[in-house]
Amino acid sequence: MMTEEDPNYAMFNSRILVDMVGDVTDEAMKASKMKQIIGALAGRFFNWGQRKSLFPLHLGIKCCALEMAAAGASRFDAERFGVFFRSSPRQCDVLLVNGPISKKFADPIVRLWEQMPEPKWCIAMGECAISGGPYFQSYNILEGVDTIIPVDVYIPGCPPRPEALIDGFDKLRQKIIRIGTLPSASRATAEAPIIVGDD
Amino acid sequence: MKIVGMRINGAIQREAAESVCSALMSDFGDEELVAEAARHSGGRLERHYVSIDCPPALWRLLAETLSSEHGADHCSMITGIHWPEKSPDMQWQVIIHLMRTTVRNPPSKEKITQPIAVDATIVQGDDMPLEFEIRIAIPETREPAVASVADIWVGADWNEKETWDLVGIDFEGHEGMRRVLLPHETPAGYHPLQKQHKLRYHDYEEMYDDPQGFQRKPVDKGRVK
Amino acid sequence: MAEMWISMGPQHPMTHGLWTLKVKVDGETVVDTEPDLGYIHRGVEKICEARDFTQITTYCDRLCYASANTWSHSYIYAAEDLMGVEVPERAEYIRLIATELQRIASHLMWLGAYCPDIGNLTGLVWCLRERELMMDLLQELGGSRMHYNFPRIGGVKRDLPHGFAQRCKVKLDIFLDRIQEYEALLDESTIFLIRTQGVGYAKAADQINHGVTGPNVRAAGHNYDVRWAHPYSVYDEIDWTPSLERPSIKGADCYDRYRVRVEEMRESAKMVMQSLEQIPGGANTYHDPGDPAILAKAPSRAKDGETGFHHYEDSRGESMFYLVGGGEGRGKMPYRVSIRSPMFITIPYASKCMIGYKIADIPAIMGSFDPCIGETDR
Repeated sequence: MMTEEDPNYAMFNSRILVDMVGDVTDEAMKASKMKQIIGALAGRFFNWGQRKSLFPLHLGIKCCALEMAAAGASRFDAERFGVFFRSSPRQCDVLLVNGPISKKFADPIVRLWEQMPEPKWCIAMGECAISGGPYFQSYNILEGVDTIIPVDVYIPGCPPRPEALIDGFDKLRQKIIRIGTLPSASRATAEAPIIVGDD
Repeated sequence: MKIVGMRINGAIQREAAESVCSALMSDFGDEELVAEAARHSGGRLERHYVSIDCPPALWRLLAETLSSEHGADHCSMITGIHWPEKSPDMQWQVIIHLMRTTVRNPPSKEKITQPIAVDATIVQGDDMPLEFEIRIAIPETREPAVASVADIWVGADWNEKETWDLVGIDFEGHEGMRRVLLPHETPAGYHPLQKQHKLRYHDYEEMYDDPQGFQRKPVDKGRVK
Repeated sequence: MAEMWISMGPQHPMTHGLWTLKVKVDGETVVDTEPDLGYIHRGVEKICEARDFTQITTYCDRLCYASANTWSHSYIYAAEDLMGVEVPERAEYIRLIATELQRIASHLMWLGAYCPDIGNLTGLVWCLRERELMMDLLQELGGSRMHYNFPRIGGVKRDLPHGFAQRCKVKLDIFLDRIQEYEALLDESTIFLIRTQGVGYAKAADQINHGVTGPNVRAAGHNYDVRWAHPYSVYDEIDWTPSLERPSIKGADCYDRYRVRVEEMRESAKMVMQSLEQIPGGANTYHDPGDPAILAKAPSRAKDGETGFHHYEDSRGESMFYLVGGGEGRGKMPYRVSIRSPMFITIPYASKCMIGYKIADIPAIMGSFDPCIGETDR
């Protein structure tokens, strides 16, 4: 059970044991079709749970963050749809990108995306996140967050009204019904991204 | 409309600006310094400021004089401009905006701090708020540099960092010069506001040009903006 | 106890924007700080060199997004200084109304973000509710909820809509009642008082030397305000005073900075109501867009060698635009646009104010200086 050059390592590494037990269990469940049964019975229930309680990340990049805050406040009230902002990416399932991504922030936002557990979705809110927006000519701004992160819903506007943001969440919910709960790596081929307002 | 709210008296501000200018010209007039009282154009109210053209070598001495004798207590902005078409006389220009705000800590009277409520209609002389604009022309050089004033006004510290970061003008004597707006790993020597760096997609003449790879619509084929 | 560097940000609920604050802590006490900005540096100064003078107004709204009108007006005054344009008086009154409503909205956004930093989530929803009142008024004036692109060189783009004065008075009356509710909520809350009083002392002369201006300095006991020191617009025809606080001998603490902004909101509401009564031509007359009563003829080109600058009282301090016009073949576009952001200078100063306090005081101190990273990073 010894692995390579890990200095803090005692005789026995519990992580390897956990991985091995996990693999063995997974194979056993696949072989006995238990995994399929659980997926069929509970998959729709999990899908219902996921789309009714989307937790976006408490990330405010630029102006659209104020409309995001207004959407969560009492006039537009996104919270009645189950949308509740969490501060830690490990507890979120939606990454709401609401501003331009600069070269300095490209690395941290990819790290935030990778910290989020599966299944996860990304919403690009506002022109800056979709295509660079008014700053498309800038030497420091990427042309849209979809150059580094796969985006599911685009919400155009500069900034989009809070109602448009809530509509974006609604479109995401419909998309979750359509694609089930596939992990995001295989989802790129399964479903094209939605643009709010493109009916 | 009669004046209800408070404002300073424009004529007294002019006098204060002119007295500063005459003091500076008498001190430094023979060293190529030009100081005059200028007036903002535009707007209905008169606002006067001290406009100074300073050679690069004199900047540090001028800054100390303004700070100690003329009450310039606030460094508002330090800007750098790259003028490639004006070389060799002025290839770089540093513009410093200072202000005399006359802000001081509220004094204590009978063991209680008394907040200072200035009545703008009666300020005059050394209490008159003033703006200073100092223009420094740096002749043609690969490494433009000017003396740093971050120890006189701490507000100049980050302004100088930003000017170096974006324009490339160095400030001698500034400790801890580093990239402050661009990423830290930006290659040395890259200062985007210099004129040889062009803006992306600029100088495209056609309106429907194809910067991001979208298809051109057939009806727009051959169209020019 | 070992000292270590902790990085707060860029994604952090307390930061009011996207930046990193690295703090060096010895146990719980802050020993050193280092702010790290630039996460939304858009290069606006470079982009504006390729835009017409009227097109730059759209970028200036987006500099500080919480306080969009004050920034676009700051640019327009600098452009008018560059071209030597005189603005009709009715337009100046309309600009004053827009600016002061925006100042109220900006301070409400600050208070709405400051209360959760202290732990008071009720303040967040109450302030955002009042901010919706202001945003409705600004939407009537400017056309959108944020980023109005409202002033033009020489005036404003549109006159006051029909019935604006009545709606504005009603909403500001409601707002002045609600400010009393905020004071009842916060000034009588022991937790708020413990967390904001006695932390983050900052003295006036120290702040001015560091380049900090605006409400932060007025909280420290001196009523310096660019609106009377370098006067512009019609502030001299309105009866108003800069809000001032009496600090302690050590300087202004977070509580003083909070009180100054609440008083400024009241002062701005009174200024708007006075302007609606005093506006030349009356608040109920309507001029079409482009009418000389609200928009003077302004040149669209600036010649080579002309410069213009304007110090302006923004919600967060003194902002300034420095414009250089002309150059070879670029009459309609500026040669250089230089933007002075008050927060760019205040954030390093506020980071210094934190030294000596505990980690739990960091959100209180940082929030009380009202950071807005959009203008910091330009």
